[in-house]
Amino acid sequence: VHGAAAIAGIGETRYYERGQSPHTEFQLACIAIRRAVEDAGIALADVDGFVSYLDQRNTPTRLARTLGLRELRWTGVPWAGGGNSMAAAIQTADAAVSAGYARHVVVFRALAQGQFGRFGQAGGGSGGASLRGAFAWNGTYGMLSPAQQCALHTARFMHDHGISQEALCEIALACYANAQRNPRALRYGKPLTRDAYHASRWIVTPFHLYDCCPENDGGAAALVTSTERARDLRHRPVPIVAAATGIGPAYGSFTQATLGSAHYRQVARHLWEAADMGPADVDVAQFYENFTGSVLIAISEMGFAAPEGVEAFVSGGRLVGPDAAFPFNTSGGNLGEAYIHGFGMINESVRQVRGDSTCQVRDVRRALVVAGPGYSPGSAVVFGALE
Amino acid sequence: MSRVLGDGWALPALDDHTRPFFTAGVLTLQQCRACAHVQHPPDDVCEACQAFDLGWFESAGRGRIESVAVVHHAVHPALKDQVPYAIVLVSVTDAPGVLVAGNVFGAAPDAIQIGDAVRVVFEHVTDPTSVETLRIPQWEIVRE
Repeated sequence: VHGAAAIAGIGETRYYERGQSPHTEFQLACIAIRRAVEDAGIALADVDGFVSYLDQRNTPTRLARTLGLRELRWTGVPWAGGGNSMAAAIQTADAAVSAGYARHVVVFRALAQGQFGRFGQAGGGSGGASLRGAFAWNGTYGMLSPAQQCALHTARFMHDHGISQEALCEIALACYANAQRNPRALRYGKPLTRDAYHASRWIVTPFHLYDCCPENDGGAAALVTSTERARDLRHRPVPIVAAATGIGPAYGSFTQATLGSAHYRQVARHLWEAADMGPADVDVAQFYENFTGSVLIAISEMGFAAPEGVEAFVSGGRLVGPDAAFPFNTSGGNLGEAYIHGFGMINESVRQVRGDSTCQVRDVRRALVVAGPGYSPGSAVVFGALE
Repeated sequence: MSRVLGDGWALPALDDHTRPFFTAGVLTLQQCRACAHVQHPPDDVCEACQAFDLGWFESAGRGRIESVAVVHHAVHPALKDQVPYAIVLVSVTDAPGVLVAGNVFGAAPDAIQIGDAVRVVFEHVTDPTSVETLRIPQWEIVRE
């Protein structure tokens, strides 16, 4: 299977601050999909599959009707969680194309939070028994947001491994620094300093404002087809070398076995084995930053550094720029470019392999994307240069 | 005992899974009658042996703070006057593997440390809609 399917086209809308999109969410999805298909150089009618993730509201049948697909042969949404499924969505499309169930599958994510409200917004009213089902166990105690849940994991990770606040700061600084090279980025022209980071208000310890991804509107999409078909299209194909989704044998966010984890140990084991490579072979990496602390855990669990060594691994500018010791979130990531639930990172990896990133790393053979940490199952994908 | 997050804060809806934990007045966790495994939160099936015959375990209510985060930004309007407040995860001494979320009575949020020994205490509150009395498990630090 590996390398049998490839990304043939990528596209995105302009990115907007939350609630500022002049377009509806469905319109944003259509723009991103159309651009990815145009980038590949195929006809829109030839798309025959849609995959998304995270409670995508723009259904495949509505898209197929609107975009004029000849037929729809494959749909899929990985179960569970949120941004943790972002690479699993690519994996689902890879499986469909590699098995021959569909020929041209678009993977996409679109969101307009002005239209539909905030992702991860706390439910539950005040007064009376309003905290239902799973919400009762945490909401009763004022634990209502992803930031608060990830803070509890990060606090324990920092405590166990001697990680300081500066390590979290380094992730934010790197994303903002790389965004200064990327005109698409919402933080382009808005650099962040260490002092401004520390002076920013606390959201929930150990997260300052700048440790938390913003909320944005926009859409992004990628077209997956067979590497063989993609050879005849506009761009050099970017093969999906391997993807992995995983969790186990311990399940559940808040158990003694999983506290302080980002749910990436199993993903790492399967990904490196399937891709026949290790962390040292990665030329450029995108890590989904919902929260900076969760990224530190994911970097460690993916095998780039021992937990005790992760602060040194990210410090001293080692993540900044195209010549970084560890080229990281080169578009600015969720913090710096835009938070389209991580999908911008898929497109950035494709740009890195094609050689047209605004923060281009030299001679990229292997580009890694690690999806949202802290929620399970985690997922990750490696893209490669065509052999 | 008034509530850590204020008497106006939302209450858990009571159902077959939540009622024992939030009303018993003893730290009550789900236990499998077939294999004695204790699991939290409760579910319809035992995660250790897949039995359906599930009952309840009364814990002695001692534990340890496994993680703590101090909330400064209220994500719900009803909590605006309550920040900063601490959320903790507590391991229960007589229920290995389980973590229970909670708040801590009588401690400044920044003073709560991972590793602190705690014991359960209860917030007594009447649900205005059902008139049922809740005894919500909370924690206080035990200084050795």
